[in-house]
This record gives sequence, C-alpha cells and structure tokens, in this order.
Amino acid sequence: MTFTLRNEPRQPSIFAQVVRGELCVAVVVFALLGLIPLFISGYVIYVLPQYFLFGMLAMSLGLLWGSAGIVSFGQAAFFAIGGYAMGVIMQAGLGEGAGYVGIISGIAASGLVALIAGYFLFSAGVKADYFVLVTLALSIIVEQMAVSQSEVTGGWNGMFVDRMSLWLGPIGTISLYDDAAIYYFILPTLAVVYFALSALKRSRFGKILVGVRENEDRMSALGYNVAFYKTAVFTISGALAGFAGALYATHSNFVSPSLAGVLFSTEVVVWVAIGGRLSLFGALAGGVLVAALSNFLSSISPQYWQLALGFIFILVIVFFKGGLAGAFTNISERTAYRSLQESGNG
Amino acid sequence: MAELLRTEGLTKRFRGLVANENINFQLESGNVRCIIGPNGAGKTTFLSMISGHQVPSAGRIIYKGQDITRLSVIERARLGIGRKFQTPTVFDNLTVRENVELAVLRLKDNTRSAAMRIDEVLTAVRLDDREIQRMLVKHLSHGQRQWLEIGLLLGNQSELLLLDEPTAGMTSEETVATGRLIRRLAEERNLTVIIIEHDINFIRDLKAPVTVLHLGKVLAEGSFDVVAADSTVRAVYLGDEV
Repeated sequence: MTFTLRNEPRQPSIFAQVVRGELCVAVVVFALLGLIPLFISGYVIYVLPQYFLFGMLAMSLGLLWGSAGIVSFGQAAFFAIGGYAMGVIMQAGLGEGAGYVGIISGIAASGLVALIAGYFLFSAGVKADYFVLVTLALSIIVEQMAVSQSEVTGGWNGMFVDRMSLWLGPIGTISLYDDAAIYYFILPTLAVVYFALSALKRSRFGKILVGVRENEDRMSALGYNVAFYKTAVFTISGALAGFAGALYATHSNFVSPSLAGVLFSTEVVVWVAIGGRLSLFGALAGGVLVAALSNFLSSISPQYWQLALGFIFILVIVFFKGGLAGAFTNISERTAYRSLQESGNG
Repeated sequence: MAELLRTEGLTKRFRGLVANENINFQLESGNVRCIIGPNGAGKTTFLSMISGHQVPSAGRIIYKGQDITRLSVIERARLGIGRKFQTPTVFDNLTVRENVELAVLRLKDNTRSAAMRIDEVLTAVRLDDREIQRMLVKHLSHGQRQWLEIGLLLGNQSELLLLDEPTAGMTSEETVATGRLIRRLAEERNLTVIIIEHDINFIRDLKAPVTVLHLGKVLAEGSFDVVAADSTVRAVYLGDEV
C-alpha cells in the first residue's frame, strides 16, 4: 500500500517532537494542580509535593537521557546528596535564611560530584555502557557513605531535616510548616523548572545535545567538543536532582540512606521510561504518576506491586519505546497527517 | 596560489603493517586533488591522518602554515578541515534541514544569518526542495545522503574538504552532478578538495590532478592523462580499464 510508504518520511523528527502541544498541556495541568488545595486538604496535600519532587527528579534524567542519550542510574545519588546537604545546613543553626543556603548547598554539592565524575569519564571517552555502570556504583557509594558517616548522617536511622521558611528580608518570613503553604511553594518551583528545561531543550545547547545523542562522530568532525557538552548536561542534571533532593528533605523532614540506593535509582529510570524520555512533560508525569501508583499499589498489595510495575515497564519497553508521551505524540501526529491528506484530497 | 596543506614524510604503521610510508604531499588552496589506488593502498589512512582520526607514526602535517600534527579532530575541524566519511555519517533520525542546522550552529551566528546559510547550503547540494528539507535523513537515497554530508561540511564553513568515496552508491546521473558540484565549490568558493575515488570516469571528468597510492607510497602524481599513461600505474591499478 502506498499510504505507509508515503507516510514514513512524515515521521515526527525528534528535534521538534518535544514542543508540539506539550507546553499547552503543561500550562493546563499546572493550573489544575494549583486549584487542588482549594478543594481538598489533608494527606493528599501533604503527599502531592513529594510526588512533584519525584517528577523533578525524573525530569533531571529526562533531560540527560532524552536529549543527550545518556542513561544514568545515579540520579538517586544526586537526590540524596542534595537531601543530606539540606539536612546538614538546617541543623547548623543559620537562622531564617538557612533554607536558601541549604538549597544552594544541595545544588552545588550534587552538581560538583556530577561535574567531577562527568569530566573524568567523558574526557576519557568512556562508552555509554560503562558510564551506566559507573553511575550505578555512584549510587552505591553515596548510600554506603550515608550509612558509614553516621555521626553526620545518622546512619541507617536517617536524619531529621527541619522545614525551611521563605525568608523575605525586611518584609518578613513566610512559614512553610503548613502543608498547603509548602504545596504552593513547590508547585510553582516545579513549573519554573519545567519551563526552564523546555527552553533549554529548544536552545542551541539543547539542539547540540540531540546531535551528540544522534551521532557523536559527526559532531566531533563538525568541531563540537562532545565531552564538554556531555559533562555540562550531566552537571545540570545532577544539580537539578540535588535541588529536588534538598526540597524533598525539607518537605518530608527526613532523609535516609535508601534515598541514594540502587533500588530508588532504578525506579527513576522506570518512571522516565514509562513517561517517555523524549518528552520532559512525559518524564515529569511518569515520575509523579508512577510514584503515586507505586505508593497506592504497595498499600493495597505489598507483595505484588513491584511485580505489577515490572510488567508495566516491560510492556512499555516492548510496545511504546517512546513511553506514554511517545504514544500520544504518535497518535496525534498520525491523526494530523490523515486529516491533512483528507483535506488535500477533498 | 597559496599552499594550504603539506605533509612531510607522513608515515603510519599498524604494528608491523606499513599503511602509509613517507608521503610528501602538497596542495594549493582552491585546488581539487584525486587520490586513487588499489584497495589497501592507504588512501583512507592518509585522509584520516589529515582529519586527525589517526595519529601519524612519523612525519608532519602543515595546514595554512601551522603544524597540526598533534591537534585533535575537533581542533582541526575548527580550523576548517571537514571530513566526509566512507559510510555517510549524518544524523539519520533528524530532518535534512535539522542536519544542516546542526552544522551551521557551530558558528554561533545570529538566527537570521544562520537560516540564510542553511538555505544556501541546501541549494548548493540540491536538497532545497521543501518536502525534502522536512524528510528524515534515513529516508533519503544513498546519493542524497552523500550530498547532505558534503552540505554539513559547507554548513560549518570547512575550507578543506576531505571526501572519502563521495559517489559510492550513486546513479551515473548523480555522479555527474557530484562532479559538477565539486568543481563549483572549488571555483566559486575557493574551497580545497581531496577526493578518494574508484570511479575512473568520474576522475577523468573532474579534470583534476591525481595522486596514485600503492602499498602506502606515492606511486605517481600528475594530470589524469599523464598518470593514466604511466606504465607502472597501469600495471598495479588501472589495468586495461583505460
């Protein structure tokens, strides 16, 4: 049939796939999420920001994996580094502005670890497969350090982290102890991060990352310093994971070594695979929904939820390589093309 | 005319095997040169040493008066050395236009002049049809992919084009068009081109000087007619073809 043949070249390019309609959907979803605390209160309002932060963590991998094609099993390590940095700062007695120092420390610490690891690995031209293994090791190292340095981290018992406040200088201080208050702090932060990353993906830098993902040899032969761009995106990704971790720590008042663990790291990869790595919003939605679903399933069926999640993961990998976001884009592209053809024929 | 590229005693050994031995090569800017020779003569190795993909065992490479022997692929690309590989190395999953955009982006132009440069490149390599611009590169014909790769080298303003078998897989009509394109690039843009080719008719039509490599050494050099008349060259490579 000639239809399939002619349809093929119309496949959406992965350069542009990200943008189509996604930003509009995102605006609507963020607005709707903003309305929730007006109607509901209690546990949902407490727990949703946690899922938002998992969504932010998922986006940190979505940027890395989707744009640059680099898979990392170390995102949980950066998340935990951010969380512990926040915890240490909050205990240091810095007063009302401590939260800001905590956030900056979390970003700086995780970003620095990513920068150092990325610099040495990418400059040495380490292949993707080995890079994955190193990031896996990074998770284990951070988890072990969190356990062993118990005088700082509290070891297996974890560490109490106080809620931060929004210190506004002479104007005063906004307390975030109330769950709705921190909800209205974390949700806009998430939205800002999402739109900033979307802009980054569409920028010159973002396009170069796609080039690196698609053909490293060609990029070098064109004069692009591939190792620099990989190190840069890994650093941004690590810093973002650390930022999410810092907020998570102060929101949940608690960090423990399992935050850095291999299990949690793997979950992040599963979220992004299910949500769709080529779409930032897909990754975000994957993080929020799959984390929420896991939580729900583990409460009704603690034995089987991981099995169920495993099956969903396999189904997505086999049938929807682009994840849920990819499936949606394909369907909408196909409908758009069909209507274009029909109008052309008519 | 100013000398653009010179190699002095360029040698490459792989363990015991000598791929290139003591190659002294010189090329003026705006010139086209064909490198021919039987399989295993060391043609691609020679090109790889100029592009920086292979490190010479001995000898020097001088480009625009500068010793570039120790520079990386990336540094040489930034100096204007562009390489088209034997197997087209392009961005298969991106569109034709996006491919060229990635080449142009390296120069950090403002958006408008970048868009103009993309248009200009696409026209030069005959991929300016609007439908073709939006096609994914993996759906292009083999010949179109070869042109696109040359287009990428134009996009980031390469001055020395190293083309490894640019007409492989092309129809005879496409081959003729490629020859015309290469001549135009040299004449109108003063680009310098080194071409590795097997297609004798293509080389003859190009009317460019030829360097013959055999067993890693320069066997003969000169115009096509002179080289083709050389009895040693006929014996090792051309045979009765010409």
